[in-house]
Amino acid sequence: MEGSDTYLIRPSHQYKFKPAVVKECVREIVRERLSGKRFEPEEVQELSRSLAECIKDRVKNAGFDKYKLVVQVVIGEQRGEGVNMSSRCFWDADTDNHAEDLFMNESLFCLAVVFGSYYY
Amino acid sequence: MSGSIVGKYVPFYIRQLTYILTSDVLVMDEYQTEETAFVVEDVSKIIKESVEAAIGGHAYQHNRVNQWTTIVVEQCLSQLSKLGRPFKYIVTCIIMQKNGAGLQTASTCFWDNTSDGSCVVRWENKSMYCIVTVFGLAI
Repeated sequence: MEGSDTYLIRPSHQYKFKPAVVKECVREIVRERLSGKRFEPEEVQELSRSLAECIKDRVKNAGFDKYKLVVQVVIGEQRGEGVNMSSRCFWDADTDNHAEDLFMNESLFCLAVVFGSYYY
Repeated sequence: MSGSIVGKYVPFYIRQLTYILTSDVLVMDEYQTEETAFVVEDVSKIIKESVEAAIGGHAYQHNRVNQWTTIVVEQCLSQLSKLGRPFKYIVTCIIMQKNGAGLQTASTCFWDNTSDGSCVVRWENKSMYCIVTVFGLAI
């Protein structure tokens, strides 16, 4: 990341991390790549990694330049097991935010979370 | 007389100057040894302790899982903030019942490789898996 010596402590409204916009990006990508797929142990490793890369690139291109991004993708097999995921963040609530999306079909579930942290 | 006065004062002045110089140098050293990169071992230790304390020795219970993930994550976060380092933290915790099902997590980050880092800890017991990820982003 290049330091563009502006020392802006708060992003202006148009550059702020918009959860709704990011959630839409994530939703599109996940639905497109996973509709109709079955959980395949060999395939899922590559699939989750490429999904994460894809989501990260799409969100970067959506114009959040001053944000550091963390994308986490969890794909699990649906076998009736119980799963619970939670997260907490220690950050600046005025500038930082996150967006998530859960996709389920008969054989798998996929949770994608994007965290955006403003780089001062 | 003048000779002895000069003899008295000059050494004192020099001593005072050297004291200021050395104390400035000491302050500089202390500042530079402060951790400015993400240290994986410290964070890993904190995560392991939090997980052990929250769910070590328990069996999977559907009605308590929500509470457990919250406890693990909040405990991790409070210990991390006590480290006092200039980082923003993101902690996620996944608890999954052991059922023979497969689970894959992947994460990718757009950050500064020199200062930021992440740490993943996988923990399990007879009835469940717990995966905790901590991302640290330098300010």
